[in-house]
Amino acid sequence: MERTGSQVTARRQPPARRLPAPGPQLRPLVSTGTVSCPACSRRYVVERYAAAFNVCAGCGHHGAVPARQRITQLADHGSLELMRIEVGDRDPLRFDDGAPYPQRLARARERTGLSEAFLVARASIGQAPVLLACMDFGFLGGSLGSAAGEIFAQACEAAAVERRALVAVCTSGGARMQEGIASLAQMARCSAGVAAVGQARLPYLSVLGDPCFGGVTASFAAQADVILAEPGARIGFAGGRVIEQATHDRLPEGFQRAEFLLAHGMVDAVVARRHLPRTLATLLHMYMPA
Amino acid sequence: MSSTTETAEREAAALAAVELARNPERPRALQVITTAFDQWTELRGDRLFGDDRAVVGGPARLGSRPVMVIGQEKGTDAMSRALHNFGMPHPEGYRKATRLMRQAEKFSLPVVCLVDTPAAYAGIGAEERGQAWAIADSLLCMLGLRTPTISVILSEGGSGGALALALADRVLALENAVYTVAPPETCAAILYRDAGQRARAAAALRPGVDTAYEIGLVDELIPEPAPGAHAHPAVVIAAIRGALLRHLDELCAVPVDELLERRAARYRAAGG
Repeated sequence: MERTGSQVTARRQPPARRLPAPGPQLRPLVSTGTVSCPACSRRYVVERYAAAFNVCAGCGHHGAVPARQRITQLADHGSLELMRIEVGDRDPLRFDDGAPYPQRLARARERTGLSEAFLVARASIGQAPVLLACMDFGFLGGSLGSAAGEIFAQACEAAAVERRALVAVCTSGGARMQEGIASLAQMARCSAGVAAVGQARLPYLSVLGDPCFGGVTASFAAQADVILAEPGARIGFAGGRVIEQATHDRLPEGFQRAEFLLAHGMVDAVVARRHLPRTLATLLHMYMPA
Repeated sequence: MSSTTETAEREAAALAAVELARNPERPRALQVITTAFDQWTELRGDRLFGDDRAVVGGPARLGSRPVMVIGQEKGTDAMSRALHNFGMPHPEGYRKATRLMRQAEKFSLPVVCLVDTPAAYAGIGAEERGQAWAIADSLLCMLGLRTPTISVILSEGGSGGALALALADRVLALENAVYTVAPPETCAAILYRDAGQRARAAAALRPGVDTAYEIGLVDELIPEPAPGAHAHPAVVIAAIRGALLRHLDELCAVPVDELLERRAARYRAAGG
C-alpha cells in the first residue's frame, strides 16, 4: 500500500451505534485521521502529531504550525485572550494575477479561519504578561500586506500601553506582492511598532519558523532583542532559488537553515519547539522583573 | 479597442516606464554628489567587514550647510558598474550607511540619502553576513535618528534595499523614477513562477513613483524636462539641489523632538 504526501487522509467512520464516553474528554477516542511527516513520511494519528507540537518523533522535523495552534502551544494554559483587531481590506492596485486579489483573500480566510496573516492574543508565558503575535504561513504565504502590518503595529502599541512583552512568531514569504508599494511600506510601519516597544523598555522576542524571508526578516523579525529560531527553519532575505538563478553559485550545505544562521551570528539560539515556552519564560523573567 | 490590445498596451507602457528609469544615462548618485554638493569628503568602510562600493557617502557642504550625504551608486560604464555592483548593496553597504547616519546625528548634520538600487544584493555572502539584519537595523536607525533626514529617489527604488535608506522626514523622487516592492522580474518569478512575464508584473505593480506619492510614501516629485533626466542631467541635478536646499531650510527650523514625533506618526500610518 502506498503512503505518500502529508495530507490528512480520512479514516473509517466509527460505528454510529457507539455511545459517547461519559464525562469530559481531553482527546477523542476515535481519531479523525492520520498525517505523515513531510520529511520522512512517518505516519501519525493527527492528535498525537499535534500533541508533539507537529514535530516528528522519528526524524525531528518541525512541521508547519497554524497560528491558532501556535498561540496555544506557547501561552500558559488558560491565559489566552484573542485580540480582535478589525482592519478593512485593501486593494490599492486592484491586483489580478489570474484571480482578483479580494477573491484570493476570501479563499485564504475560508481555508485558515483567520482574517489576516497575523493572529494576536494577550497571554502569559511562565506567568510573564505578553502580547503574542503569530503569523500563519497558510494565509497567502504569511505575506505582509497593509492589514497585517496594521495588526502588528496595533499589537506593539497594546504591548507598550499594557506593559506586556512582545513575542512574535514569524513565518512568512515576505511582502505581499499583490499590494505593491503599500506592502513595502509595511516594513516601515512594523519597524515603527517595534520602536514603540523599545521606547517603553519592554522586551521583544522573536521566534523564526520555517520559512521566514524577505521584508519580514528584513524588518521586525530581525529587530527583536532576542531572536530564536526553530531547528531546520529556512531563514533569510532572498530565497535560495533566487540566489542560485541570479549568481549561478552552488549553495553550500545547510544554506539559510537556522543552524547556519546561528553559526554566522544572526540568531541567538536554535530552540526545539517543545522547549520554546520554557526558553521564552526564562528570558522574560530576566528582562521583566515582576 | 479590444481588451487584449488594451492590456498589451498597458503592459508595454509599464515596461517602458521601467526601462526609462533604468536608462544608463540618468544622473547617478556620485554625479549628483559631486555636482550639487561642495567639498564632499568620501568616508569608506563599515568598520566590521569591508567597504561596499554600491554605497558611497561622507560629509559635504550644501550651500553653507554641512550635511552627511549617502548614496547608492550604480556606476556609469562597464568597469564602474562592476565596481559598484550595479548599485546592489551588500550588508556592509547598509552598515556603512548606518555608521555615517549615526555620525551625522552625533555632529548634528542633516542626512541626505540618494536612493538608486534595483534591490539589495541577493547572494551567498550577502546572506551569510545578514542582509536582512543590516536592512532591518537601517530602518530602525532612520526612524530614530535625532537629526533631519531627506531621501531622494533618483531612478530606481527597489524593495527593502531602497526603503532602508528612504525612511526620511522628506522623501523626494525624480518624476520618472520607479519605486517598487520588488523588481518586476522578481515579482513575476514569485507570482507567475516565470521571470519572463515581467511586462505583466510591471503593469500590475504600477511601479511609477506616482503610486508611492499617492499612498504618501513620497512627498514631492521633482519634474524632469522631456524626454527625461538622461537628456538633461544638469537641469535635473540643479532641480535636486534647489529642492534639497528648500526642504533642509524647513526641516532645520523644526525642533528635533517634533521631527521625530512626526516621523514616527508618518511611518506608523504608512501604506494605508
